[in-house]
Amino acid sequence: MLTISSVSKSYGSLVALSDVSLEIGPGEFLGLLGPNGAGKSTLMSLVSGLKTPDAGTITLNGTSAISGNSQARHELGLVPQNIALYDDLTAEENLQAFGELFGLNRKLLRERIAEGLTAVGLIDRRRDRVKGFSGGMKRRLNIIAALLHRPKVLLCDEPTVGVDPQSRNAIFELLEDLNRQGLTVVYSTHYMEEATRLCSRIAIIDHGKILDQGTLPQLLAKLPSAEQVRLVASAAVEAAPPSLAPLGTLTPHEGGHSLLIAPDTRLSTVFQVLEQHEVPSADCTLTRPGLEEVFLHLTGKAFANNPSPSISPPPPPPQPSTRPQAVCHLLDDKPAGPPPFASLLLPCPPHSLCSAKPPACSRATRSR
Amino acid sequence: MFTVFSLLRKDLRLFLRNKVAFGLTFLVPLVLVYIFGQVFGVNRSDSGPTGIPIAVVNESDAAVATAIIEAMGQESAFRVVSTWRDPNGVEQPLTADWARQLIRDNRLRFGLVFPSDTVSAERFGLRLIFLNNPRNAIETQTVTGLLQKVIFTAAPQALMTSLRQQAESFIGTAETTAFYDDIARSISNAFGVNYAEVRADMEAGVMNFGGSDASATADGDATTEEETSSFIEQIVAIENEQLAGAEVKSPGATRVVGGWAIMFLLFSVSGASTALFEEKQAGIFHRLLASPVRRSHILWSKYLFNMLLGLVQLTVLFLAGQVMFGIEVIPHLPSLLVVALCASIACTAFGMLLSAIAPNPAAANGLATFLILTMSAIGGAWFPVSFMPEFIQSLSKLTLVYWSMEGFLAVLWAQKSAFEILPLLGVLLGMAAVVNVISIWRFNRGDLFD
Repeated sequence: MLTISSVSKSYGSLVALSDVSLEIGPGEFLGLLGPNGAGKSTLMSLVSGLKTPDAGTITLNGTSAISGNSQARHELGLVPQNIALYDDLTAEENLQAFGELFGLNRKLLRERIAEGLTAVGLIDRRRDRVKGFSGGMKRRLNIIAALLHRPKVLLCDEPTVGVDPQSRNAIFELLEDLNRQGLTVVYSTHYMEEATRLCSRIAIIDHGKILDQGTLPQLLAKLPSAEQVRLVASAAVEAAPPSLAPLGTLTPHEGGHSLLIAPDTRLSTVFQVLEQHEVPSADCTLTRPGLEEVFLHLTGKAFANNPSPSISPPPPPPQPSTRPQAVCHLLDDKPAGPPPFASLLLPCPPHSLCSAKPPACSRATRSR
Repeated sequence: MFTVFSLLRKDLRLFLRNKVAFGLTFLVPLVLVYIFGQVFGVNRSDSGPTGIPIAVVNESDAAVATAIIEAMGQESAFRVVSTWRDPNGVEQPLTADWARQLIRDNRLRFGLVFPSDTVSAERFGLRLIFLNNPRNAIETQTVTGLLQKVIFTAAPQALMTSLRQQAESFIGTAETTAFYDDIARSISNAFGVNYAEVRADMEAGVMNFGGSDASATADGDATTEEETSSFIEQIVAIENEQLAGAEVKSPGATRVVGGWAIMFLLFSVSGASTALFEEKQAGIFHRLLASPVRRSHILWSKYLFNMLLGLVQLTVLFLAGQVMFGIEVIPHLPSLLVVALCASIACTAFGMLLSAIAPNPAAANGLATFLILTMSAIGGAWFPVSFMPEFIQSLSKLTLVYWSMEGFLAVLWAQKSAFEILPLLGVLLGMAAVVNVISIWRFNRGDLFD
């Protein structure tokens, strides 16, 4: 449906995109995941016709989507990164202003505005000026403004920046619903959690290049290990890395460290090392790797822009344990004996939501 | 205290890195002070006007006329214009009617005609005709004052010399000399002044016989300055001939309304143009350009909006001028609307240029303030252009303010139709075209739409 072939774009000496190729099929929900400055917005700008590539082609259903092509403009909808609305106009007036540009007749436009506002729960605020809206309401309106002409492909350029969790979920549900109805969505984000939750396929981009693409299981399957240990910053943890390094891939993570355990390393070996360094159990978390580890694996560096937005995870599968689903703390506050490490590898959702804190360990536990 | 200094150092660092703020704080005021200084001539030893062109037509053969013209030539405030290029480009002596036409057409604004009967045997004194187009009150008052000074200084002396020559021709040199001797002796005896000084003054044609000595020694009987002036006014009759604006009911307001209106228009248009930056920052352009909208659509819509806004604003300002100050707007409304439209087009082009060349709204606003104040100052909105140094006068013709004011005054003051001022309107539209070309060139190379 949307084909990006060998597209390159430079700004002076800065190469923003280099030989990027992507094929997006009808009804797909493609996530474009990368840190800030990776080239996501440039790619979105090229696809939406705001900029012209230096090389390569972009076609939509076989028609060039390079800037100036009016046909392509009618088939694409862009949700810009900014809230591109007029604050002093009402919600209805904003939608009218943008809808008219697509040549929709007044009656049809009125119907679509009403439909859109109803869908995002703003129909009662349709005559209120946008400047009185919350950030989340503006973001929802921002999306509706891109849908009035019923595009075949919706380009969302980081559409949830600065949005509260409730509105973020509302936006996700809206986009998921639109996707279920057949709308093709290209969604750029630097939030791995968003890409994990929403996207049927993820393309990882960095330094203007597509590093890899595929479904989440496909991407995770390329990792050398299915286990990792995260260590929060502490004096004991700071002493451990030299001993941990031979056991897998050790990288800095949120002030502490993340150890992607090598396939031939036993978990018990890792925890023996941690015990030798008297690392408190509260400072260790055993999780399954996610996109961050995929990015690390692909680039050799940590994902720089992943401030872990607060989003509600999808419903987890039923668990036998009563402890938090996504959190798998070692040692907890059990009084004696090494824990059965393998049994602690709970089926976490494949994204980094291990945020709940365990009860603090007693000094006696830690010194044991 | 350390905290205060830390914050102070931070503010200083931010200020020094903000080129726009730095420019607005230091460079713009310095440049404006220099320009205003040039406009108002504050750095000249003689801060009065220089080189105001004044047509001089001498139809008389009286020596006094020649003497006055020579005195005018020595007065730095005036530039005596006695010839003009005819339609064939040949320099010809000015006639009174030609001078009148030039003044009506605003190519000159003042003229002094010495008619053939400047000096007549049938009356005592001189007769002069002062031609003027008083479309600028300050300019007219200043020129009138300076002209009176020159005439009243030069005329009596010349008149006395002339009278003596006439007397000699009628009664002979010896009789005339004897008459002068008798008069000088009588004055000397009556006022106690030196006979030789009085005699010398009479020979030179000086009227205040005995000069300051006389007033100092005459025990209160000396001729006062006021009396002298009154006497001179009686012997120099200046006929005032206003060639334009005589029918204007509210001359004071009519003179200034154009300058004020165009200044406010420039401010509002430049303000509206910065909306382009606001839309860019809000990401509106990305949304618009992702729809079937081209850059040219956006720019043209802004241009038309600002132009119409300017037209409406000018119309409202002029109509308010009619209500508040009695300016005759309604009778000239069609022509005024044409001028207002051309002025709006030109001012909108200026506003778009600001958006095209400024990197951000703050810079655009700073640049707008600088350019608007400069254009208003040198364009004549505050101060007569004719009083400015010649190079500033040349610069003033490059400003929208100058040509817009010319247009408004042509309609409201000289009561001309739009058809009659087509060349002037052409200049405004030509300036708009040039500015637009520059703006388009800049827009194509700038990052406004990126």
